[in-house]
Order: sequence, then structure tokens, then C-alpha cells
Amino acid sequence: MMAIRELKVCLLGDTGVGKSSIVCRFVQDHFDHNISPTIGASFMTKTVPCGNELHKFLIWDTAGQERFHSLAPMYYRGSAAAVIVYDITKQDSFHTLKKWVKELKEHGPENIVMAIAGNKCDLSDIREVPLKDAKEYAEFIGAIVVETSAKNAINIEELFQGISYKGLLARRPQLVALSLTMLCCCSLTNPSEVESRFLLHHLFSVCKIC
Amino acid sequence: MCSSEEASLLRLEEVFSAALAHINSLVLQPLLLTEPSDAWTRECLQLLQQLHQSSQRLWKVTEESRHSLRERLHHPDSVGLESLLLLHGAERVLQVHIEYIESYTNCMVARAFQGAAKQRSAHWRDQRKVLQQFLWAMGSVSLEGAVGPVLVQSLRQPLTHHVQQYVFLLLSLGDTIRENHPTRKLVVHAATLFGNLQSFMSQALDEAMATEALWPTLSSRLRDELCNPADRRLLQDSRDIPVTVSPLRADRVLLFRDSLVLLQGHHVHTFDLKLVWVDPGQDRDTLHVLTPEEEFSFCAKNPQGQVAWQRKVTQAVRQALCGKKDFPVMGADPEPPEPPACRCEAYTFQVEGRLCQATYEGEWCWGRPHGKGTLKWPDGRSHVGNFSQGLEHGFGICLVPQAAEDKFDCYKCHWREGSMCGYGICEYGTGDVYKGYFQEGLRHGFGVFESARTASQPCKYTGHWELGQRSGYGIGEDRDRGEHYIGMWQADQRHGLGVLVTQAGVCYQSCFQADKMVALSVPLCLFLLLLELLRPALSASPNPSPFPGSSVRPPRAQAGPCPPQFHLCPHRQLGLGAFPVESRWRGVYGPFWDFVQAGCPGDQQEALLGFHVQSSKELRKSQEYLCCERTPPEDSTDSIADLLEQLPQHREPGALQQYLKKALSNSLHPLGKLLRTLMLTFQATYSGVGANKHLQGLAQEEVKQHARELWAAYRGLLQVALQRRGQALEEDEDAETRDLQVHRLVLPLLLPSFYPELFTLYLLLHEREDSLYSQGITCLSLFPDTRLLEFLDVQKHLWPLKDLTLTTNQRDSLVRDKCFLSAIECLQKMITTVDPREKLEVLERTYREIEATVSRVLGQEHKLPMDDLLPLLIYVVSRARIQHLGAEIHLIRDMMDPTHTGGLYDFLLTALESCYEHIRKEDMQLHRVPSRWTAW
Repeated sequence: MMAIRELKVCLLGDTGVGKSSIVCRFVQDHFDHNISPTIGASFMTKTVPCGNELHKFLIWDTAGQERFHSLAPMYYRGSAAAVIVYDITKQDSFHTLKKWVKELKEHGPENIVMAIAGNKCDLSDIREVPLKDAKEYAEFIGAIVVETSAKNAINIEELFQGISYKGLLARRPQLVALSLTMLCCCSLTNPSEVESRFLLHHLFSVCKIC
Repeated sequence: MCSSEEASLLRLEEVFSAALAHINSLVLQPLLLTEPSDAWTRECLQLLQQLHQSSQRLWKVTEESRHSLRERLHHPDSVGLESLLLLHGAERVLQVHIEYIESYTNCMVARAFQGAAKQRSAHWRDQRKVLQQFLWAMGSVSLEGAVGPVLVQSLRQPLTHHVQQYVFLLLSLGDTIRENHPTRKLVVHAATLFGNLQSFMSQALDEAMATEALWPTLSSRLRDELCNPADRRLLQDSRDIPVTVSPLRADRVLLFRDSLVLLQGHHVHTFDLKLVWVDPGQDRDTLHVLTPEEEFSFCAKNPQGQVAWQRKVTQAVRQALCGKKDFPVMGADPEPPEPPACRCEAYTFQVEGRLCQATYEGEWCWGRPHGKGTLKWPDGRSHVGNFSQGLEHGFGICLVPQAAEDKFDCYKCHWREGSMCGYGICEYGTGDVYKGYFQEGLRHGFGVFESARTASQPCKYTGHWELGQRSGYGIGEDRDRGEHYIGMWQADQRHGLGVLVTQAGVCYQSCFQADKMVALSVPLCLFLLLLELLRPALSASPNPSPFPGSSVRPPRAQAGPCPPQFHLCPHRQLGLGAFPVESRWRGVYGPFWDFVQAGCPGDQQEALLGFHVQSSKELRKSQEYLCCERTPPEDSTDSIADLLEQLPQHREPGALQQYLKKALSNSLHPLGKLLRTLMLTFQATYSGVGANKHLQGLAQEEVKQHARELWAAYRGLLQVALQRRGQALEEDEDAETRDLQVHRLVLPLLLPSFYPELFTLYLLLHEREDSLYSQGITCLSLFPDTRLLEFLDVQKHLWPLKDLTLTTNQRDSLVRDKCFLSAIECLQKMITTVDPREKLEVLERTYREIEATVSRVLGQEHKLPMDDLLPLLIYVVSRARIQHLGAEIHLIRDMMDPTHTGGLYDFLLTALESCYEHIRKEDMQLHRVPSRWTAW
């Protein structure tokens, strides 16, 4: 019996960027024997193995409408991680994302793991936000970044795996430095082409070592 | 056929009857003619009158017997032998004889004949000859000498002779009847009875003679002191069988039928035999005698002497307790029956000390009050209750009169070895009342003191006591000033950290020393006042919105997160660190744990739980009548042994919940009693003036601690119960299971008891927010359903109005309180329960109702993302119009099972909270709504 660790994950982002689609995809792709109760697409759970423990994601959706922004602190308080979603076809949504990051830095829980998800990467033809911008920004704030497609199930699993491992590392401070240097190495040697899979693989090996 | 014995019996009766008539006319009548000249003769006359009466009765019975015999002789065939009075009424005949003997010996001891005869000595001198002839006729040797002895003899002789003949004739009559005949048994029985009477008579006469002989050997003063009552007989004299007494000193020991007398010079020490216990000592020569106040031993010269004395005293005590002489007379039985060790008597203590002049009436054992009894002092003080070894022990009511008025201090308490110990209720003559625990006669542990309403400074104290003084954590209420002090006490004064709440609602925490405030750490009242004043100004200033991009709408007040200290100040909680919750009410739990650690002894149950009285009226009555109708713990179904027997039978979750529910609602159950006491403390702290929003934190953590403690208490009882059954003890549970049980099981059961006060505190704490929220609700309720849905940006395809074809006007006017009705009604049920878990379940059902409605509208299952759910939820919440939702939400969150954190219930509660916040904050925006939607 592996220990179960509960991770509260909060979804932030504008309306229509596909927050709930990402979660639905993540939760539904996996066949779960014991279906835990959900609140529509607003509250879902999924348990995934990570290293030598199980991580149970408690995923809290938030209302993306601008008028409800002020209510967000209630939702993200006590979160282990926040997934901030933007639409790669909408520059505005990336703008909002930056505000969320700023707010989380100021008022969010300490050591919150931030993950940036650029959704709708299947529509890269009408892309408005270059991947490079997102990566630079993520690197600047120390967040995980992936481009996902809820529609085609691209990088959804990876997004949450990344959160898992980063969450794991965050709890073991001595490893944080190591992983950060590794990340830096990766980004230096391969500045533009760091694949998220590759990065995660590295992180995973770090976990194995410890 | 009649036997010759029967004829002789008839003759005997005829002769005796004649003799009695003769004695009556010759002796008794003349004696009764005596004029009473002094006290002694008056007394003699009285005794003689009694003798006369019993002689009359004796004569009557003899006549009856004679009559029955004659009948039998005349009609021997029709009248059976058993019809003889001597046979079927032998007991009655015997009784009359005994009575005669008693009154005769009374006269003899008092020398009544001599006394009466003295007055008319001339008459008696003339009669002497007649008397002597009479005696001679009765078969006695003639007596020469004084009149007295002749009289004595003449009254006794016929009787002894008569009884002797009875026995003789009855025995020979018995021999004439063949064996197995039923009348033979009767005859033998009668013969035995009269045989016993013979020995009884001779013993009575011996005793009387000894007593009569004793008086001249005593000084007249002693004689006067000892000769009353008239039926006092000497049973043993230390002159006959010498004994020495120690440690008391005595020249002479006299054992009378009713008392034991030690003579030392002119000093007389009399002990009532009813309160004398004889303990044959280890030493064969000594005999220990216990009396209520003295304890001494008799030392005989030899073992025989000791045995004789022991026998005599034991017999005398037994007969004194029976109130009559033995019949038949005890022979030289080797094992005479012992008198009972426990007796019920009254006694007034004489020796200087606590009990001097006090009268005890009740049960005794070995010279000490033991059992139930009443002790009354001459000053009016009295104690009714249980005693042990001479001291108050167990439940008792003590009344102490107040000097000035006709009022009493009434102590209804448990006592241990003479002092109050355990639970008690004291009602003082002044009207003050103390209810709580005592130790060694002083208030100690937890207790509530309430002064009379009429007192000059009405006050109430609920808390800890030490050696009669307020000490430790306690709540003091000053009714005059309306002040409420919550904090530490020492030596009856406020000392240490404390929180003071005034009637105006100002509340501050400070350090007290000797009843005086030494340092006002933060003059919070002023600080708060300042904040209240500044608040509107602060909120009016345009806050820089964290979302400049959203400039479509005017910047809303308080949109961004407020600076934390500003947010916290009105909610500042006092006393949180000052009074650690674990030790706050340890005086309440202390007696319980002592009880559990002692293995729950049944006799201490009442001292712990307090006695159960049906109503306060009865308690008052008990004071008036000095009795208390308690439900004795051993009789009720709730005796601790039964409770412990039942306890391990309910351990399955469902049964356990039922059991705990029952136990907590039963004030006779230790857990129920604990809860009652805790409710008392909670009410004392947080109701009235104590209902202050700054105390919410204190109250909240206290309730949770109570749940933990009660769970621990249950576990404690369970362990004792298992131990009693000889079963394996339960392992210590880990912290996680304990928390789970406490929150899932105990807290919901407990919460209803504390809910009113607790909820009031939450109400006060969230008053401002709640008023804004209800303003918001009022504004929103003006909207028709469609307008509201539109206003809340609910997507049109989710509107549950698909099946209605209405014009826009109709929609606006008609569709009011129609949409999502099931969800709204469901949410309204939230206030019908106090259990946080049930409230959360209501919330979940509400969500399911919304989901069901949406699915119906869309015709397919639809998973609502938060973008759609939140507006719908706001709609439902605003329509449900639950009052004080803020208080509700915070109460649920505080009392929620911590394992739910981050989970489904947490999410739902957060969603509800965000709706609440939105409605509250929307208020500002709503002011411009009418213009907005009229312009539509």
C-alpha cells in the first residue's frame, strides 16, 4: 500500500481557454475503478502514481469571468499547485495569465507550484502567443510550461506529472537546488528545444535518486 | 369420660379463685385505702393499684377456666378436652400470670407493701392473725414477724402454689391421654408453658429480692437516683463476682435490667444497655465494653468471673433491646444468642467536643453512629444523612441556622470522614448558592457560586476553586456593572491574564494583579473604535484594481485583497494563547478521571455525578423537611455497574453513535453529566455580556476540545468496562483515528448543546458582512428570475425556461421564484440542522438538484464547469435567502472534519462562501442596477 498524498490543484484562466476541458481530458482518459464523486467539471479528483507514492489530485476549477476574479483567493488558498491556462490563439488570455501569476506571487500560498498550460496547441495555425514567449516567461517565474491540447490529448498527462514531481521536489528542499541546476543546464545546452518530456524524464530520474 | 385430674383441676381453680377473692378483700382493698401522704406512698399506691388490676385480671381468667372445666365435667361427651381454657388459651392464662408477677415484684422492690401498711399499722396488727390463718390454709408455714413480710408472702404464696399444682395436674392429665391423640400435644404444651412460668417466676422473685436487698446497701442519694424506673432489677453486682474497671474507675459495678452503672464514691455513671456493646477481649480475664462515649474493660479475677459477667451483660443487652424479659428463661446455654451489633437508638452526647450536647438518632454499630441517622445540636445545627464510624460519610444534608434571622445555610453534600468531599449544593441563608465540588469541607475543584439577586453586589462565579478560594481559570460576572471577566484567579482575586468584557461590548485582554488591571496590553477598545471610524473612509478610497484590463466596469470597492491587518482587526480574537484550551476546564474533567482511575467504584458515583433530584422544587422541600428524596443510584437503571456492563456492547459505529447520543442526553450518565457541566461553563462564559464577537475563537476551540475530551472520557470508561469483564484492553488509537472519531462522531452529537451560544458568537462576528449580504439579497430579490439569470451572466441555454413560451413582458412579470426551485428549497434546509456534516450534505444535494435541472433543460447529461456553475449557484443562494449565511459558513468551516480539507465538501463550502462574498460585494454594484436594467 503506497501512501496517498493529496494535492490540491487550482485551475485559473480566462473563460473559454479550456480549463475544464483539460481536467475532463485528464480525469476521463484514465479508467478509475472507484469513481470518486465530482461536482460536474468543477471539482474532480484523480489518483496517479508518482515515485513511491500515490498522488491524488483534487482539482478545483474557478470561474473565469472577470467579475469573479476577486473570489479566486478563496479557491487557491491552501493549494499545492496552480494550473494557469491560456489560449495560444488569444493574446488577451496570456495577458490575464500574467496577472494571475503576479497575484499568486503576492497573495498565493507559499511554495505554490505554478504550471502554465498553453491550451489549444492543435490550432497553432492561428497562434497569437509564441511558445518562446511563454517559455521565457515561465523560466522567469520558475514555472512549468507546456502547450497542451485538450481536444487531441496532447501533453495533458505530462502537465500533471510535472506538477507531481515538482510538488515532490518542493517538499524536499535539498533537491530543489539540484533540479533547478539541472533545469538550467538543460535550458543552456538546448535553449529552444527543451522538450517537456525530456525535462520530465530528468526530473523523474532525480526523484529516483532520492 | 372425664379423668380425675380434670376434677382436681376444677377444684384447684375453685380454691384459687376463692383465694384471690380473699386476698382482694383481705389485703389489697385495705391497702388501697391508704391515704397518700408523701411522694413515696403515692408511688406505692400507684404500684398497688396496678397490682390490684392485674390481680383482677388473674381472677377473671381463673373464673373463665373454672367455668370451662365445669362445663366439661357436666357434659363430658359433648364438650371436648380441648375446650378447656387452660389448654386452648394457655398463652393468655400465662400472660396474665406474668403480668401479675411483674406488678407484684414492682411492689416488692419498691417495698410498697411496707410503705402502705405503715400508715394503718393498727389495722394490720389486728388482721395479722387472719392473714396467717389464710396462709396456713394455703399450705405455707406460718410466719412470725412484721406485717410486711406477711403481706408479701400472702400475695405470692397462693400463686406459686397454684402454678405448681397446674404443672403437676397437667402432666398427669397428659399421661392419661393415649399417645398421638391431638389433645395430648395441647396438654404437654400447656404443661411446658406453666413449667417455664415456674422458673420465670422464681427468677423474677430472685431478681426482685436481690434488688430489694440492694437498696439498703446504697446511700439514700444513690438509691433515689437509681430506684427509678420501678421495674429496674439488679442482675449482677460486682460485690458478688468482683471485677475491676479500667480505664474508668469504679468501686462497684451494678448491672441492671436496663442499664450498666459504675459507682465511684458518690459519682454514678449510668450507661443505657441499648447502647452498650460487649466485645470479649483477647485476654480471657477481661471484657471490653463499648458505649457511645466511653470505652472500658472489665477485668475479672478469674475466667469464670469473666464468663459470668459477659454472659449477664450480653443477655441484659439483648433483653433491653427486645424490651422484655426472656421467656422461657435462658438456662445455662453454652452459646447464648448475641445482641445485634447494629441498632437504632437516640443518644445525646455529653463529652466536650464537636458533638457535645448533640443528639444523634439513628443507626449505630459498635458504639458509633453508623448508617442513616440524624444529628442535632442544641444551637439548631443538624445533619441528616449517612454516617460511618461516628462521622458523616456519604450523602448528607446539613442545616446551619443563621444567627440573626430565621434562615439556614443548607449544605446538601457528599461527606467523607466528617467533612464535605465531592459534589454538593449549598444554599446559604443569605440567598447565595454554591454548586460544585468540595474537598475537606472547602470548595475545591470546579464550582459555581451565585450570590443572591438581592445582594448588594450580585455576582456569579463559574470556575475553579482551591481550598475555598477562587483560584485558577474562572468566569466572574458582575451583574451590577454588567462586567464579565474571563481569566485567571488567585486567592479570590483576579490575578493573571484575563479578558474583560463590559456591557457596552468593549472587550480587552489584560494582565491583572490582586484584582487590579496592571497593564492594558492593547487598549483594543480604542483601537477598534478608531478602526470602525476609519473603515468607511478607507473603503471609499479607490483601490487600485489588480486587473486594470477590466476597465469596462468601474473599479469596485474592496475588489482586491485587503491588506491583512485591516482585514483581521474587527475579527480579532482574544484570549486564544492566554488560556490553553487543554487545561481550561480541567476541574470539570478532574473528578471524572479520578473516578475512572479508581475503577469506577459504585459508591463514589453519586459524589461524582451529584445526586439526582427530580426538580428544584423538591430540593427546596428537602431543606424544609430535612430529607431528600433522591433517586438512589443503586436502584435506578443507571448504576455505574450497569452502565459499564452496557458500554462495550455498543461499539459498532451505528450502535456507538446511538449509545453516545443516549448517554449524552442522560444527566445520570457520567458522560451526560460531564456535558451538562460543560454546557453550564459554556453558557456562563459566552452568554449575556459574554456574547462578544472577540470571544468567538475562544469558544470555538473550546467546543472542539470538549469533543476531544468527551471522546477520551468515553475511551476511559470503555477501558474500565473491558477490564471489569476481563477482556483485553483496547489499544491506544493513533491521532488520526481519534481526530476522525472526534469530528465524525462526537462533535455532531455535542454541537447542539453548545449551538445557541456558539452561533450567536458567529453571528456577532460576521454581523457586518451579513448585513451587507442581506442588503444584496434584498436587492436581488427585486429581480424577476430571467433578469437575475441574465444579470448573473448565466448562459441562456442553461435557463430552465425552455418549455415556457412567454413574451418578454410575461417573463419579467410572471416568472418569479420559479427557476431552480428544487435546488433553492433544498438549500434552505441547511438551517434545519446544526451538524456541519449534514449541512454539507444539504449543500451537495443542492448541487445535484442544479445539475439535474440543467440536464433536464439540455436534454443530456452536462458536466458543469465552474464558469457555468458559479452564476447558477449565486442565483440559487440569492433566492434561498438564508439569513446570516456568513455565520453559518464560518461555523461549518470551523467545525468541519479536517480530513475534508481540499476535498469535495471543502470545495462546495468554498463555492458557497464565494457566492456569499459575491452577493455581499455586489451590493455596491447593485445600487446602480435599477438604472441599468430600466435602460435595457
